[in-house]
Amino acid sequence: MANAKNARHHVVIGSGVAGSQAAETLREREPEARVTILTLSSLLFYNRYDLPKVFRGHRDWREFLAFPAEYYKDHRIVVRRCSRVAGVDGPRRTIALEHKEEIRFDTLLVASGGRGYIPEELAEFRPLMHPFASYTEAVSAAAVVPERGHVIMLGGDMIGLDLARTLVDTRHRVTLVAGPQTFWPHEVTDDERPGLIAALEKMGVEVIESADAGGIASIEQGARGLSARRVLFKDRTELYGDAVMPFFGLSPSVEFMLGSGTDIERGLLVNPALRTTGEGIWAAGDVCQIWSDAEKRYRFYYGWKNVRAMGDLAARNIAGGDEPWVPAQDEKLHIGSDGKIQSPFWEYE
Amino acid sequence: MGDIKPPSGAAGAPAAGQREYFSDDPRDIGWVKQNVPCQTACPAGTNVPVYIREIIERQFGRSYETNREANVLPGVLGRICSRPCESQCRHGWPGNGEPVAICHLKRVAADMKDAGHRITERLYSPTGKRVAIVGAGPAGVAAAHDLSLLGHDVVIFEREERAGGMLRYGIPEFRLPRDTLDIELHNALRLGVQVRTGAEIGNGAGQIPMTKLEKEFDAVLLATGCMAASPLPLAGEWEKRELRGLEGVEYGLDFLVQMHRGVKKVVGKRVAVVGAGFTALDCARVAARLGAQEVTIHIRTAEEYIPVTQEEIFEAKREGVRIKGLRTPVGLTVEGNRLTGIEFVQNRLGGWRAGGRRQAIPIEGSEFHEPCDTLIVAIGQQTVNDFLGTKLELDRWGNVRVGEDGMTSHKGIFAAGDYVNGASTVIQAVGHGRKVAKRIDAWLMGRERRRQVVRIVPVEQPLRERAFDFIPRQHMPVAPLGERMKDGAHEVELGLDEKLAFEEAKRCYLCNLRYQIDVDRCIFCRACIEVAPRNCIKLVRGVEVNDDGAYGKLLETKEWNQVGAIWIDNNECIRCGQCFKACPVQCISISRCELTEVEV
Repeated sequence: MANAKNARHHVVIGSGVAGSQAAETLREREPEARVTILTLSSLLFYNRYDLPKVFRGHRDWREFLAFPAEYYKDHRIVVRRCSRVAGVDGPRRTIALEHKEEIRFDTLLVASGGRGYIPEELAEFRPLMHPFASYTEAVSAAAVVPERGHVIMLGGDMIGLDLARTLVDTRHRVTLVAGPQTFWPHEVTDDERPGLIAALEKMGVEVIESADAGGIASIEQGARGLSARRVLFKDRTELYGDAVMPFFGLSPSVEFMLGSGTDIERGLLVNPALRTTGEGIWAAGDVCQIWSDAEKRYRFYYGWKNVRAMGDLAARNIAGGDEPWVPAQDEKLHIGSDGKIQSPFWEYE
Repeated sequence: MGDIKPPSGAAGAPAAGQREYFSDDPRDIGWVKQNVPCQTACPAGTNVPVYIREIIERQFGRSYETNREANVLPGVLGRICSRPCESQCRHGWPGNGEPVAICHLKRVAADMKDAGHRITERLYSPTGKRVAIVGAGPAGVAAAHDLSLLGHDVVIFEREERAGGMLRYGIPEFRLPRDTLDIELHNALRLGVQVRTGAEIGNGAGQIPMTKLEKEFDAVLLATGCMAASPLPLAGEWEKRELRGLEGVEYGLDFLVQMHRGVKKVVGKRVAVVGAGFTALDCARVAARLGAQEVTIHIRTAEEYIPVTQEEIFEAKREGVRIKGLRTPVGLTVEGNRLTGIEFVQNRLGGWRAGGRRQAIPIEGSEFHEPCDTLIVAIGQQTVNDFLGTKLELDRWGNVRVGEDGMTSHKGIFAAGDYVNGASTVIQAVGHGRKVAKRIDAWLMGRERRRQVVRIVPVEQPLRERAFDFIPRQHMPVAPLGERMKDGAHEVELGLDEKLAFEEAKRCYLCNLRYQIDVDRCIFCRACIEVAPRNCIKLVRGVEVNDDGAYGKLLETKEWNQVGAIWIDNNECIRCGQCFKACPVQCISISRCELTEVEV
């Protein structure tokens, strides 16, 4: 069915969980509308939570796709891959792509997610680290870690700890350099932390508290004949491994929204209906900070279920609704009766 | 909107065979102001495209002198300028990429000029007039330099032991090495300016009264800056409490000034800095160097809206400083007389305030507490007027009110820099100091001695290549963390090397180049339109003329029977030179247009 001549053009930036769910809901709610997804990725939507599978030998990108290409054709959702958004002009309702193309929108949903945050003090060592936020990065990381190899995991957020479970299971050695972000996005009290660290050690992860070693001084390439990477601590102790992988939580991808007329603090600031301060612009997923009336602050909500629910809610509100955000999952981290860490962040379909 | 004129022989088009000439045509002056946004944005009016072009030609000394014509402290400003030029740079406009690193290139000119480089100064014969300047900060020094060139005898009275004002006492050495500051101050003041340090103006014992200056000098310029820290407004029981004297609480400006006077400063393990400007960032970075384990800057709005450069924010974060937004302090928690934490209220973003800053609106009932053992308050600075024996009119912010001529309400007393404008930036202070110096000269001499014109120089061929447009912004090399944190004097930014500088300089569009089509010779072949990389060459039926005489909006048309000319829209033009090369009848000319001054 062709789009009606005066149908609205809904543009979604980001093809992750939130963006893809939003596109699907928009298609359901407005059958006549044009729906376009702009994504930086060269792949169609795949589930980031499946990425640890690369260490089990699954490297074929087709295995990771959530939907076949026909799905988008059948749903008349246009996916523009490898499209880097350079800027958004809110008042003119246009998106400028890096290759100078302009796209007009009637409504815009920003669901660009977050990229792996690397603390600024470690930024200069970026070329020596293997992040794990996308399929390409996951495959690159898996390629450099040999069988039963040693992975040094810095920070260790819940994405990293999920990977650690797989790595231990696949007989890799994992050393976690723990710090304030070890259980990100969970907020863990000083009383809870020792029990959770002990549970990680019981799981088979070696844990070094970064603060005990004075913090990381540098990351270096290992000398010939030694492991590929050396992490040097400020107390002059050192650690050798095959790969150094940073896991310090996510940093919202909002740079392209600067100057768009929408309010930004760390992420895009949205009201409970996920509407930004820019006319016709919504946000969903890891990129947005939602106003919480109960807590009297803007805050992020993470986890697959939350992100999907945000995509769905934003789309319903774009299509004329005005429903407020209600979290879709519990945020509490705990240790199960089997002594293992249980995180709602790891629950996905 | 003014008249509409048909396009015709444009102002500034050089006549055949003409080499260089000066124009006071408002269309030419307006053209430069509209088309060279970096120079227009610079409070000192620095001729940016020319000094960058001179770097491309590897004439670093000449580039330094071009800078000095507008700003006597290029090496200093090349390190610590707030860079209003870069936010206006055409290369940073939507779709054009990132702005040129204008400030870093200024430093290149200063760092790479030859040792023993010859300074050029335009000296006037002595006038016999004497001018006293109070304050040896950037405004006072800039004014002293210009007034001494104009032949006046200048004496600066400075209360501190050394000249430099905020540059020396407010900016940490890791951002501004003192040898650079000393050399440039010396160069600025060595043309007969007397600097009397340790000389405080006031009515107390050992101080010099203003009345004495009025008596002994033909004019007095007040340039004492904003040297009092603004108090932190708190609520409830803290509303009227004096924070000075509380253990663990410091005012940022005092903290830096005392440190630079040689007082040993100590901070706690957990330091909170409240404020969003360069002083707040400097205090936080100093605290990190003094051994604080956790340093957090608390801001009312968000990082996007604070008036410091992204590079400064990034380097501060690399040093371990964290920034937390959307919060306003409303109270403190103490044990006895010792600080233990800060009570904040959560904010939401409001509209825009005058001056381009965002408003923060506190949310009722959203108070929260953050523990800390040192609080540094750096929310702004104010002027101090108690040294004045003479009563001067003040504005509602307590700053001295001046007229168009820079004179206060008291005849013969002028004021410049932050002392008039409130806390601003170094480049604003330099620019204002120069401007007021010119007005003092006019008042002393009874006439303007210099006036602004446009120097127009024909250029034979494009100076840029299209490939230059795709060079990414070159990043400033910085000292490794381990080295820079060892002491407070290790400079963080290392300066661009020659290769990086050359690459960065090539990125400049050279907006002072004016491309024009000679309508009488144009054959309307459209070749220029075909090769233009942007929508920069237009079919027009006319051009609006602004009230100041400058050309305004182009009146475009798509109807051939209405086309009066093919016109280069210099606002869109990125000076790539493609049109010039494509034109089969050479009807496109290029001229370099620069604002300059000539004798009246």
